Amino acid sequence: MKEMFGTHINVTAKVLDLRLERQNLVMGNIANANTPEYKPRKLEFEDQLQTALALNMKGKLTKTDKMHMPAAFDPNGFQGDELKEFKPRYVYGEDSVDMEKEVAAMAKNNLMYNALTSVIKKNFTGLEKIISEGAK
Amino acid sequence: MDFMSALDIGSSGLKAQRSHLNVISMNLANIRTTRTMEGGPYRRKSVSFESSPVYSPFDKAMQDASNRDLHGVRVNGVTVDQRPFKEVFDPNHPDANDQGYVYYPDINVVEEMTNMMTAMRGYEANVQTIQTVKNMFNKALTIGQ
Repeated sequence: MKEMFGTHINVTAKVLDLRLERQNLVMGNIANANTPEYKPRKLEFEDQLQTALALNMKGKLTKTDKMHMPAAFDPNGFQGDELKEFKPRYVYGEDSVDMEKEVAAMAKNNLMYNALTSVIKKNFTGLEKIISEGAK
Repeated sequence: MDFMSALDIGSSGLKAQRSHLNVISMNLANIRTTRTMEGGPYRRKSVSFESSPVYSPFDKAMQDASNRDLHGVRVNGVTVDQRPFKEVFDPNHPDANDQGYVYYPDINVVEEMTNMMTAMRGYEANVQTIQTVKNMFNKALTIGQ
């Protein structure tokens, strides 16, 4: 271990930020549920994250030689794509937001956020344990 | 983009739904009103919503694309419904005209109740979003513990 905090903690922090951003967009959509002509917005970042981690469909970046440089991962090297619906859904004057979809997206987002905070917490508890055990 | 802007959006939604509910109860309360300050029977009102940016134009110029597209909701105004009045024959009514007809506002109770349910559900959904973001905030606080 070269440094005290691995890069994975930065990834988790970044993903937490993106999840908060997604929560903001979902809140905007739900607040505008009765606004005519409102275009629902969504945030997509999972694919970008996978690509940034070089774990996309092509699989891991292959190292064919011991001398190959390991690809350093930069957690700020990617960001979420904000997508807007092309056309607002327009049912009986006012109904442009798919409420079920939004609430489900929010619930999912919340669960993942909570899971990620637990991951970060565990990270620190692990570190603490090592320090306290080593001090004995 | 931060937690506080999420709460601002949620509260804008709550506020809009509450104004909608106010207008609906006004309609239902005035279902038989024949005299108003403007003269004539009461006219049915409805609200118009508009999505409004969360950040000021200056803030938006300084921030990234996703902030520029963050929208809350705003009540644009209360509009007056121009549907014709209901004519009822009642010669003993003080507001009856020469032929003995009274004009009542044409308010459909079922329509108003449906709108009320929509407003209520919208309000509840906004409360849920605020609860969720509070939950997220509390979870983020536990990281430091």
